[in-house]
Amino acid sequence: MRNIWYRIHAPHVAKKVQPGQFVIVRAFKNGERIPLTPVMWDRDEGWIVLITFIRGRTTMRMANELKPGDEILNIAGPLGNPAEMEKFGKILAIGAYTGIVEVYPIAKAWQELGNEVTTLHVTFEPMVVLKDELEEAVGRHILETVPIDPNLDFPTNMKNVTKRLTEKVRELLEKEEYDMVFMVGPAGDQRAVFNVVKEFGIPMKSDLHPIMVDGTGMCGACRVTVGGEVKFACIDGPEFDAYQVNWDELIARSGYYTDMEQRAMQEYMKALQGGEQ
Amino acid sequence: MAVKRKIIKERVPTPEMPAEERIKSFAEVNLGYTFELAVKEAERCLQCPYNYAPCIKGCPVHIDIPGFISKLVQYRDDPDKAVKEALNVIWACNSLPATTGRVCPQEDQCEMNCVMGKVGDKINIGKLERFVADYAREKGIDEELLFEIIPKIEKKGQSVAIIGAGPAGLTAAGELAKLGYDVTIYEALHEAGGVLMYGIPEFRLPKSIVESEIDKLRKLGVKILTDHVVGRTVTIEELLEEYDAVFIGSGAGTPRLINAPGINLNGIYTANEFLTRVNLMKAYLFPEYDTPVKVGKRVVVIGAGNTAMDAARSARRFGAEVTIAYRRGPEDVSARVEEVHHAKEEGIKFEFYINPVEFIGDENGKVKAVKFEKMKALDERDSRGKRKIVGTGEYVTLEADTVIIAIGKHPNRLIVNTPGLKVERGRIVVDENLMTSIPGVFAGGDAIRGEATVILAMGDGRMAAKAIHEYLTKKRENRNA
Repeated sequence: MRNIWYRIHAPHVAKKVQPGQFVIVRAFKNGERIPLTPVMWDRDEGWIVLITFIRGRTTMRMANELKPGDEILNIAGPLGNPAEMEKFGKILAIGAYTGIVEVYPIAKAWQELGNEVTTLHVTFEPMVVLKDELEEAVGRHILETVPIDPNLDFPTNMKNVTKRLTEKVRELLEKEEYDMVFMVGPAGDQRAVFNVVKEFGIPMKSDLHPIMVDGTGMCGACRVTVGGEVKFACIDGPEFDAYQVNWDELIARSGYYTDMEQRAMQEYMKALQGGEQ
Repeated sequence: MAVKRKIIKERVPTPEMPAEERIKSFAEVNLGYTFELAVKEAERCLQCPYNYAPCIKGCPVHIDIPGFISKLVQYRDDPDKAVKEALNVIWACNSLPATTGRVCPQEDQCEMNCVMGKVGDKINIGKLERFVADYAREKGIDEELLFEIIPKIEKKGQSVAIIGAGPAGLTAAGELAKLGYDVTIYEALHEAGGVLMYGIPEFRLPKSIVESEIDKLRKLGVKILTDHVVGRTVTIEELLEEYDAVFIGSGAGTPRLINAPGINLNGIYTANEFLTRVNLMKAYLFPEYDTPVKVGKRVVVIGAGNTAMDAARSARRFGAEVTIAYRRGPEDVSARVEEVHHAKEEGIKFEFYINPVEFIGDENGKVKAVKFEKMKALDERDSRGKRKIVGTGEYVTLEADTVIIAIGKHPNRLIVNTPGLKVERGRIVVDENLMTSIPGVFAGGDAIRGEATVILAMGDGRMAAKAIHEYLTKKRENRNA
């Protein structure tokens, strides 16, 4: 479960990208279009940095098949609306698992704007990323890792992360007064955190990642109900008011392809094993 | 050379793959003419004079139809020459004949007016156009012709940016390149073609054919920047700084949804999503291709336009039982006659006068049925000439594992949000020259029409190219004066 950094020459994206925006990458001819977040960029040199964790076949193929110097077929973007850049005051910015990758550029920009930013990263031990960068970029970075217990199945391990996450958020909110909570992470964890945050009545923004195909408002795959209205995360979001999101629906929609994703992954692993013989 | 001809009333049919075969694959349904069959059909044409020919009037891009058909007969002893001459006539107005020959609603356009229709079957114009394009491509005749045209192009030293590599944008690009302008297309998706790539299925329009037509535009000097989302990667204001004119052919980018409970249940696709997964991302080849799609045993498609037919017939190829549900009656179906006919042949059921009011889900948030209100038609007609419909208060429920919403689209919001761009009801407002409220910015296709056909978008592309040419000629003259 290592993370892989890709520094990619994509001047059309580097020129325009703002914290909060994403790109859609299609790395292979028969690959999927997947949304990823530019974590760092250089407008003059024209590159962006993407960080992926192996989560499905596409990210695994990227990790296995791309070598330094290779070309990625497509990067479209930047997409989505930039995060609001304002002085909110004291902010708790939470990244669960890979979510921290998206939190980084936003939290950094908020801190630079004069906000007092605390970032919280809760994840499995091997998935720690951007620790040094966040420590340097924001007022305070809190890292909470959860060991993977080999005796437990994966969903149970993930429940441990959710538990640690919500406990830590509660602890922080009880001790300190925040003006705003911001979060990126799986829909289930977002809801769990939101349930804590709403007890404290603090405003919360959620960066949502429903399943996406084109990312330009054309297909409607990423639709979410926000405040009773159907919104497209790609062009209306990705950031929404956590109090307005229909979490049950979002969670159900996010899991729709899990079985097929697993199948694709297994087929790929089988092919890899076959290739090694 | 007046030859007295015997009128042949019956159309020469094009071979088709049998329905039971074709629902097992995404291979093309219509197999097209051979040269012999094409000549036989071409001979039926009465050759109405150019200034009269009603077929030309019915064609949004005004192809000289009798002109190209006559070449097939005239050079019948030399098929290569016949096709080259015919293609030359078509290209004067249409850079994408392999596409239009397949997807135009000929029965409502050129063929609607065909004089032969008064005595027998109308000429099979679409299939003849398709034949010319296909034969030329297979024999490399189109390349030959292209390389004869290219050296004759006089460079103008002015540039045009085109937004969207769909039918409108591609047509405008082709015309402008032929006139000597430097043309760059900005395309949001990873492949050029727009709806031709993501929307129209392989069995109706093979993607290799679209790619080949786009390749010809590239050879004409048209640059295509894929992955460039106008409104995000670059704005129209920025394009205006860099280019002498801009054409918006961004299409109807955003799907319309039904305002009914349960619309976001799993298993409910917009036609755009479903078709994009299947066509552009080739989900029918999963897991060889990484993008998945889920097609249940029972599929309900809502809507009755061409997109609905495409979605229904695609779903059928996954082995599903498919029902098309439409709130109006059979006479208001807007899909092409040929597509409805193919759909029925493939075993797709039609249910009329039912309007969805609720999507019913199971405990996992997945759709399991659709509740419809039964509708009835009144004698009164609406602004589009369709009979008004009202609910009856009676309901019917259809079970469905997958629902596909194909009730239309709105123009892409990223583009219509441009400051200073006048927009009404989501559509870009243009003058009679297709110029928008921003000087030098033109628009056409679904971006101004809401939703139409490939050929209407191409007609706009061609008209806009002409208007842009005039606009830039003036600009050039003012600069030189």
